[in-house]
Amino acid sequence: MSEAPAVLSVEGYDLSYGRFAALRDIRLAVPRGQVLGLVGESGSGKTSLAYAIMRHLPHSAVEGGGAIRLSGQDLRAMTAQQMRHIRGSRLGMVFQDPSASLNPTLRLGEHVIEVLRRHKRLTRPEARDRTEAMLRRVGLREPAAMMRRYPHEASGGEKQRVVIAAAFAAEPECLLLDEPTTALDVITARQILELFTELQAETGVAALYISHDLALVSRIAQRVAVIHRGRVVENDPAAQVFSNPREEYTRRLVAAVPRPDLRLVRDAPAEAAPVLAVQGMTVRYGRQGLLQRLAGRAAPLPAGAREVSLELRPGEILGVVGESGSGKSTIAKALVGLNGFEGALRHEGRSIAGPAAMDRDYRRAVQIVFQHPDASLNPRQSIGQILSRPLALYGTPDGLSRRDAVAALLEEVQLPADFAQRYPHQLSGGQKQRVAIARAFAARPKVVICDEITSSLDVSIQAQIVQLLLQLRERFGTGYLFITHDLNLVRQIAHRIAVMYRGDLVELADTAALGGPQSHAYTRALLDAVPTPVG
Amino acid sequence: MSASYLLRRLLTILLTVLIVSMLVFGITQVLPADAAVMLLGENATPEQLVAVRARLGLDLPVWQQYLGWIGHVLRGDFGTSLETGLPVGEVMFTALGRSLLLALLSLLLMLVVAIPLGVVAALRRGRASDLGIGLASYVGVSMPEFVTATLVLITLGNPAFGLLPSTGYVPLTEDFRGGLARLVLPVLTVSVILVAHVVRMVRSEMVDVLGTDYVRAARMKGLSRPRILFRHALRNALLPTITVVALDIGYLLGGIIVVEEIFAFPGIGRALIVAIQQRDLPSIQAGALIMAATYALANLLADLAYAALDKRIRYA
Repeated sequence: MSEAPAVLSVEGYDLSYGRFAALRDIRLAVPRGQVLGLVGESGSGKTSLAYAIMRHLPHSAVEGGGAIRLSGQDLRAMTAQQMRHIRGSRLGMVFQDPSASLNPTLRLGEHVIEVLRRHKRLTRPEARDRTEAMLRRVGLREPAAMMRRYPHEASGGEKQRVVIAAAFAAEPECLLLDEPTTALDVITARQILELFTELQAETGVAALYISHDLALVSRIAQRVAVIHRGRVVENDPAAQVFSNPREEYTRRLVAAVPRPDLRLVRDAPAEAAPVLAVQGMTVRYGRQGLLQRLAGRAAPLPAGAREVSLELRPGEILGVVGESGSGKSTIAKALVGLNGFEGALRHEGRSIAGPAAMDRDYRRAVQIVFQHPDASLNPRQSIGQILSRPLALYGTPDGLSRRDAVAALLEEVQLPADFAQRYPHQLSGGQKQRVAIARAFAARPKVVICDEITSSLDVSIQAQIVQLLLQLRERFGTGYLFITHDLNLVRQIAHRIAVMYRGDLVELADTAALGGPQSHAYTRALLDAVPTPVG
Repeated sequence: MSASYLLRRLLTILLTVLIVSMLVFGITQVLPADAAVMLLGENATPEQLVAVRARLGLDLPVWQQYLGWIGHVLRGDFGTSLETGLPVGEVMFTALGRSLLLALLSLLLMLVVAIPLGVVAALRRGRASDLGIGLASYVGVSMPEFVTATLVLITLGNPAFGLLPSTGYVPLTEDFRGGLARLVLPVLTVSVILVAHVVRMVRSEMVDVLGTDYVRAARMKGLSRPRILFRHALRNALLPTITVVALDIGYLLGGIIVVEEIFAFPGIGRALIVAIQQRDLPSIQAGALIMAATYALANLLADLAYAALDKRIRYA
């Protein structure tokens, strides 16, 4: 490996919070023009490292030995005042969610102008001109108009372009990118990634790219460092980390990354009558104002999903994919009676006219698991109470006592029986999602709607949850409506995949046939945008 | 914000005031007071009373009386006081003007004091200055108005020190310096109460905003501290305060009767109390109606100001 002098180097750095060692003996180096990927699961210390480099640590942080150098200068020796001149000018940062990292009451242009004014000492007209040029460079078509907009008036992709323009504005030597595409749609994320790669090549900036997504990082970084429990366990060329990982942990991580070529479900669903059939379902949002109704000039309400038709056979896994706002969750909510709908819904041949017609039988048969267990589990109830509720409603199986049935449910989702006494906040994210799954299965449903249930989980936990779902399906013959934005994951498990785009179901095809020549243009764009693992 | 929104809001205010007018009129009907007795005194003969009632329309059905009253109100005529014989509208609007002067000066002083204190408390969270400000504002909030007012009176307003005139009111147009001097103590008293309340609001909003991703992003851009504090944090932290200030206006118009009473300040709260004590029905009706309308308008103004400052809010 050629030893170009490192722009950013971390040498034997230690950091702890109280007695908890967050980072131990971290060694990294990023030469000019290179991208180092930093991959780790939540709690691994990757964000702590980013803020240690930015010299923005909470008071509770205690630094041990080691140095953090930017072009040879030790940042740890810098005063707060000196750091304020280094941040944003020589050392930049791009954040995860552009909606949160842009000030909602500041015009978009101002977010770039303020950097140029501060670090390049430009006058306001100069900064304005430079900003306009920058915004054009990051691919915003009408930069002058965009500068006048407020963050809520721009799309996620446009906002992240502004954030990137601000990060590159002062021509930094080094950039830290903290999951810069995680909050974006697949296709937008791909575009942002391409933009970053272009700008990076153009400016020769050294970049530390932090992500939990090994597949994505292995595509843009020359080297990948894997961080686990505060230690860098692997630091190798990207292709090698993926194809030939050295460490046991990395091997497990790589194995957990969903790859569409490794199918996890081999059987085909039985050729039986559909358990759930939807015909021309339209879901509308909002309600007519009183005045409009009185005036009799009610405009049609906006539709979250239009004329959707699909059916689910017993034991089938039907994937539903699409970007945020495409109507995936809208349909899910309509199916469990949280949204009203127009069109026909049939459950085992029985017509269900609307939420009011969803009786106990229907609700028992069709259960839902939501994305955020933190929001869907009542924090003031113990796990036992949470699981007892559906048991009281639908009865315990095989004449078990309520307590035994709760224990049996916990066992089904591979949690210890004594979790019944615990409260949600005492559980990890993956454990909470297991409880949510147990709650759904308490009703012995025929269909479980999984609405992005693994999206907030780490990849290794996601793999375990998916494994659990497949085991439960094996045992109870449950069908899943599996809603996700993760195409690689859904292609591993779904029999058929429905693609939604802006409220329309644009395609419904067998998983193997998806993306073929007959596929819808949007489906193909979606498939192209997804980084599949290298190697 | 659309013109139709503004129109709708104004119509809503009109409706609110209309309902208030009915309530007020209804209440004055059940008050144990007879306007005819009030006018003629206890010794009037039954025949005189009947004659006066007929003259005033008091023998008509209630709804006719209401329509007659509201019709005059809409033409700007609130009637004449049973007690003084003066036109009620003029008296009440004059009192309202004085109250608004007191209210606006108090709000101004409050903002000048409360915002910096709240910011300091938020920036020095958990340290002595934060705890001190927090304690002081608790005391300020918990103290009854008459205590605050009395404290101000016996210190700054103490005739023995001769610092400031303690009571009374002189229009600024007549004697600017004297009028202003007499405003100092009531304004100070009212501000103390408001400051305590708003400091806590500003502090908690500021703490929230300082913890947001966008403030952290601003820090990571290496911006100067004043820029981060004022442009990124404080501006957003102040938005919810606007709503609180609008609610305070309601309090300032009606709720500071004790303060007005102690300083002999002839505001609308005091005028209303006097009217109630004297069973002066036209004055009660006019005062209550004017206060309700002012309060509704103040809230509209606050909503509009909020929308002007936070572009995410769009009233359609």
